[in-house]
Amino acid sequence: MLTINKTIEDGKAVFTLEGRLDTTTAPMLEKELKEALPGVNDLTLDFADLEYISSAGLRVLLAAQKIMNRQGQMKIVRVNEIVREVFDVTGFSDILTIL
Amino acid sequence: MKKKTERVRANLSFNIIGAIVLVHVLFGVLVSFLGFASFTEAFKREYETTTYHMADTATTLVNGDHLKAYLAGEETEEYQRSKRNLNLYCKKINVSLVYVIDVDTSDYGSFVSVFNSVNNEVDDSSYTEWELGHKRNTTNDEYRRKYRAIYEQGSVCETVYRLRPGDGAHPHITTMVPVKDSAGEVRAILCIQRPAREIREARRPYLRNIALSTILLALVSSTVAALFIRKQFVAPIQKVSDEATRFAKENTKGEPLGEISKFEEFARLAHSIDTMETDMVSYVENLTTFTADRERIVTELSLAGKIQEASIPNEFPAFPDREEFDIFCTMDPAREVGGDFYNFYFVDDDHLALVIGDVSGKGIPAALFMMVTNILISDRTRMGGNPAEILRFVNEEICAHNEAEMFVTVWLGILELSTGKLVAANAGHEYPAIRHADGAFELLRDKHGFVIGGMEGVTYREYELQLAPGDRIFVYTDGVPEATAPDNTMFGTERMLAALNEVPTGSPEQILKKVRSAVDDFVKGAEQFDDLTMLCLEYKGAKAQEETLMSETNKTELTLAAALENLDTVQSFVAEALERAGCPLRTQMQIEVAVEEIFVNIAQYAYAPETGDVTVFAEVSGDPAVLTLRFSDGGIPYDPLARQDPDIGLPAEERDIGGLGVYMTKQFMDELHYEYRDGRNVLTMKKTL
Repeated sequence: MLTINKTIEDGKAVFTLEGRLDTTTAPMLEKELKEALPGVNDLTLDFADLEYISSAGLRVLLAAQKIMNRQGQMKIVRVNEIVREVFDVTGFSDILTIL
Repeated sequence: MKKKTERVRANLSFNIIGAIVLVHVLFGVLVSFLGFASFTEAFKREYETTTYHMADTATTLVNGDHLKAYLAGEETEEYQRSKRNLNLYCKKINVSLVYVIDVDTSDYGSFVSVFNSVNNEVDDSSYTEWELGHKRNTTNDEYRRKYRAIYEQGSVCETVYRLRPGDGAHPHITTMVPVKDSAGEVRAILCIQRPAREIREARRPYLRNIALSTILLALVSSTVAALFIRKQFVAPIQKVSDEATRFAKENTKGEPLGEISKFEEFARLAHSIDTMETDMVSYVENLTTFTADRERIVTELSLAGKIQEASIPNEFPAFPDREEFDIFCTMDPAREVGGDFYNFYFVDDDHLALVIGDVSGKGIPAALFMMVTNILISDRTRMGGNPAEILRFVNEEICAHNEAEMFVTVWLGILELSTGKLVAANAGHEYPAIRHADGAFELLRDKHGFVIGGMEGVTYREYELQLAPGDRIFVYTDGVPEATAPDNTMFGTERMLAALNEVPTGSPEQILKKVRSAVDDFVKGAEQFDDLTMLCLEYKGAKAQEETLMSETNKTELTLAAALENLDTVQSFVAEALERAGCPLRTQMQIEVAVEEIFVNIAQYAYAPETGDVTVFAEVSGDPAVLTLRFSDGGIPYDPLARQDPDIGLPAEERDIGGLGVYMTKQFMDELHYEYRDGRNVLTMKKTL
């Protein structure tokens, strides 16, 4: 299961994800992002409590990154080791801004 | 345009004038020829007669009784006198020769000269006088025949014409008359050779006059004809042509042509052109108005169609966050707007209303009626109550204001998602088709009430239906069973059920597409006559329902439907196996990723668009402990490991997500092996814990 907390203020959006970003939950995040992103120029994804990510989650992140490349910037913060390994293995570390 | 008109004129005038000139010339030649021939004939006859009289007169100067004696050598006083007289006569009558010959009557091949008078001055000739007794051969057969005629056949006169002599002599005629003795016997022939110059000289002016007058007549009549044609034919045609050209260019009514010619044909043509212009101008005006009206109506209809379409839910998936059911609907009006409708909405969090209806008639009236009915039903449904009450209320409302006396058939069902209980009522609508669990789609012959809008005070009966997870319900309007092929056979519910049962486990969208393509194949391009609307719902079970297989903890093998909603079950199954062996968190996550990627692949692609099952085997053994995972499915043969790895060095804009899942699986697992065995895809993975 995935819990998404978001705050949007003056074009700055912070999404805090808790739980698992997999095939089942990825559409939720995709829908939330789709609604929130218009008008946002600074997107921060807080992954401190994200336990797990699969290719379905990566797909959503890639789509969000492509949108934010056009309208501002996107960064991912507080990534745990396990998720970090997935980013490394897939080359996503190079295309995402991970702080 | 102008060039064409000029060519018409040239054709008309020149062709007719040319024909007239030609006829005149031919006529002139004919007249000249006939006149010349008869003139020549008459002249010749006159010439012959006068020459005959000259010759006949000359015979009186010769004594026929003494000719033999002259030839015997007696040049007597009488001979000399006759000779002098003949010479004198020859000069007086203006002839070239007067001579008397005695022809050898045995074969008329020769003769001897008796008298011979020459007068070279008359015709500028150079004859020499023959001596008495001069013997000559007959000139030719013509002379021979003529001599014989005079001697033997009693001819009084013979004439030889030499109007075109070939030997350089001048044209002349030779007239012969018999010289007789006192007993009446022919003794010799007297010939006069007379120049024929006069014939030719008389003929020349005659010929010239005829030719000149013919040419003159041709010229005059051609000019008159040309002027006449120009005025009476070409000018009216030119006027008509100019007016037609102007009209074609400007498309406005011009001055009427009126009376352009005294000839009836031209007058009628002009009149027709005038009438045609008037008619066409008014026709174009009508057409313009009509087209503008039509365009406005088309625009309004298209807008109305959009409004109608937007009045019912048409975005799918409609409720992606609801796991209990899947729904799909289509509505294809036969015209821009239709009288069919479907609808679905939550009455409360646990109750989903499903509606399908069909208004009598088609087009705009049906569409308006449909909008009213749809809104009434949905408003009333949200107020609560069961389907029978709702339909009764809607019927009363509609009957109270049903000026057009239209009616609508409605099927209304309310599904309780937590229990699968469906309560429905049918107001004259088609039977729904239901598929329970592993069975086939069948028609549910529910109890029909009367159509809505038909009669006040009607009550409706409702019925209950229990749906189990995997059950599907399909409702439709009569556009489906009554779709008609070109040979007038109808699609019918049998064919509809057959189409449904081709994909009994398909998603609602797949099921509707199947039915639609079956209908399309059946009607073979015939025009869609009725609106065609369908709704299909798959009940997937209550939200909290768990797979019963989960509790069987000791199993190392699990078989279940290859569906995304079973992903958690599979993850729990694998996690349990790992838990017993004790496994670092990081390794566990890597295994979870592999399980998800492989399982999701199978769920999404192995059986698409159908569904099927998948068997997962999990076992931990050995020291150090090694996990063996095996996925096996009966879907399309496919080796995921054969897929080319994605290029993970590309920037975000060029990255494609395809193949990433399998790539991660390869990275995280120690060993991977694929084989296709006994009709199943078998993928085995190993990972040291």
